[in-house]
Amino acid sequence: MEAVVYICLGLMFIFGVLAVMLRSMLKSAIALAVASAMLGIIMYVLGSVWAAMFEISVCSGLITVIFISAISLSNTDKKDLAKLYEDKERMAFLPAVLIISGVVLLLVVTSPVFSLPAVAPVAEAADTLRETLWTHRQADIWGQAMVIITGALTVVALFKERE
Amino acid sequence: MQVIEYSAVLFFVVPLAILLINILLPKQLAEKFSIYLAGIAAVTQIAASAAGFLLLSAYRLHEYEFSLFCDTTNAGSVRFAVNTFSLVILFCIGLVSLASILVANRTVDKKRAGYVNLLMMLMLGMNGMVVVTDLFSLYVFLEIVGISSFVLIAMFKSDTGLEGAFKYLVMSVLASIMILTGLSFIFMQTGSLQYAHVMGMNLLEGQSSPQLMLIYTAMILMIAGFGIKTGAVPFHSWLPDAHQSANTAISVLLSGIVIKVAGIYGFIILTGLFSKLPAVNMTLAIMGTISIIIGALFALRQNHFKRIVAYSSVSQMGYILLGLSADSILGLLGAIVHVFNHATFKSTLFTNAAAVHEQTGTYDIDEMGGLEKKMPVTGFSSLAAFMSTAGIPPFAGFWSKLLIIMALWNSGLQLFAAIALFASIFTAAYFLRLQKKVFFGKLLSKFAGLTEIGGSIKFVQIMLTVVTIATGLFFPFALLYLRGIGIL
Amino acid sequence: MNAFVETAMLVVGFLLIIAGCYGLIRTYHLLKIVIGVEVAMKAVTMFIILAGFINGKAALAQTFVITVIVIEVVVAVVAVGIAINLYHNYGSMDVRNLRKLKG
Repeated sequence: MEAVVYICLGLMFIFGVLAVMLRSMLKSAIALAVASAMLGIIMYVLGSVWAAMFEISVCSGLITVIFISAISLSNTDKKDLAKLYEDKERMAFLPAVLIISGVVLLLVVTSPVFSLPAVAPVAEAADTLRETLWTHRQADIWGQAMVIITGALTVVALFKERE
Repeated sequence: MQVIEYSAVLFFVVPLAILLINILLPKQLAEKFSIYLAGIAAVTQIAASAAGFLLLSAYRLHEYEFSLFCDTTNAGSVRFAVNTFSLVILFCIGLVSLASILVANRTVDKKRAGYVNLLMMLMLGMNGMVVVTDLFSLYVFLEIVGISSFVLIAMFKSDTGLEGAFKYLVMSVLASIMILTGLSFIFMQTGSLQYAHVMGMNLLEGQSSPQLMLIYTAMILMIAGFGIKTGAVPFHSWLPDAHQSANTAISVLLSGIVIKVAGIYGFIILTGLFSKLPAVNMTLAIMGTISIIIGALFALRQNHFKRIVAYSSVSQMGYILLGLSADSILGLLGAIVHVFNHATFKSTLFTNAAAVHEQTGTYDIDEMGGLEKKMPVTGFSSLAAFMSTAGIPPFAGFWSKLLIIMALWNSGLQLFAAIALFASIFTAAYFLRLQKKVFFGKLLSKFAGLTEIGGSIKFVQIMLTVVTIATGLFFPFALLYLRGIGIL
Repeated sequence: MNAFVETAMLVVGFLLIIAGCYGLIRTYHLLKIVIGVEVAMKAVTMFIILAGFINGKAALAQTFVITVIVIEVVVAVVAVGIAINLYHNYGSMDVRNLRKLKG
């Protein structure tokens, strides 16, 4: 189990950085989708089955579709246009920044100053999620419903054709 | 008791009902009547929050929990609760929404139905933020407020509107990321995010220093996140752009209530839950002081009416942060009274900006002069708002600034009290410049045919000025009343 | 062994947030900004799941994650909507075009 987590962590990190650094928007969106899928696998292995399903179906699916439709609506993926945005030069420092902060974080984490709280992984049945969501967190349910209504109103306000 | 329950549930039900009616109406009717429907919602909110406040104090209760068509007998379930402070904020939400609707009656010509829909969602989000009892639900409703305000700024699709909305969006998602990361670290430590649970846990005692590092990181992240939402310095860069480019009815909303509910209420919760950590208060005090000074200094250099008022908001948020950092009931009271006063005088100022723009067609103060002769109501309300901001008695701003400075003095932060007092000079300076350039002086010849603004905008100006003056005159009685019901 | 996994997840999460925010700040393309936001949100989701895994409340963490994903989608829709409208106005997705408001 641990090996799967490590592999998926490494892949998610690589694809996440690629999503930021790549010059072509289409490849960027696909890298984001792969990173989301890796995160979904990690969540499944850690026991959060429902969250993994949600993550893979929504983030790897829906958001990628939104991006690809935005890219095609704005015609922005032609090669000569992509060079205009100078992404390669602007992001050139990112690997260096990441390596330096990685080293700093490793120093912080391996020093005796740092320790995480005790671990108690519990394999909980799916019933508990249903009970938690629908009886304990009703404010969140109301919140989610309102967020979705707001999203619908947004689409009407922003995407209607000009009159 | 039942009345309190009904009035509390109204905060959710009325905006939803108005939204539903507005969506179901056919298009022509919606464009004509939606503003009146929105007005009904705002007036109901004002009435419900006032009734709730009076009833709560009559029953000597501090807090009342209610549920929204769900079952609250479960021990661990998340409830909604109103207490006397949140009812004051709910009253402000209603008042500023009413001001915005009346201004929008004149300034919003197309897409009125869309404006009303989004305004109802914004009101729902703000009401939700104030009544929940859980940190994560606070985040969810904060996002609702954010999303509605982006779209309200952008929906008229002008170049500047879209640009201001995009800049606000980028800063706001940075804030969301920081707040969520902080929340996840707190969740790691405590296992639950409800206010009662987090307050009950003593986060400092019995902890070894490694676990403290996570909590301090969480605190830094959450202060930074809510600071971006408030528009405190050094995170204020989105605020003038968003206010300048939005339709003035929406600038009224943004500055009058959104930055306060989204940002300051978050800080109220943070200081309520975590004030025992010593660095939190000092950080807030420093952030507040820098906001006051830098906001005022930038306001002196602007030439656009709305930008001056926007930087003034940055400055006043600093005062409220100072009040919160004093960590006493007096400071909290001063902060909330200043939230109420800022709502009224900032709405008055933006309404005057709308009035001036409607009649002269420009926002540039270099092109104006001597408007007071032709627009006396606007001039007088602007003068009243300016004196209230600067803290001149007997206007309302004097009392709230006095409470904040007293609270700072009492809790040992005398240096900050002195700086706050001294910075009032800057406040007076930039407003005096605005008043002189726009209203006093010689009337330019091109304005010879100018008339006073009429209709709903005039009504808003008169109403808000009356509220400011009345609050200022009757405030000592309000203090006595609060002592009577046991808050002070 | 378990503690090492958590530490690795924490470190990778922080690095992803840094990468996402760096990309968000430095890019000139409007849609890249949204991608940077999404990458950072992945890291935050991972932190929430990690927190649930550590203190035993996996179900509560899952409800948080589901809500965060819903919010993330709607924010992405709004950002993309504003970006496309900016494209209609200016003809390109360049951030450097947004220079009208200054001071």
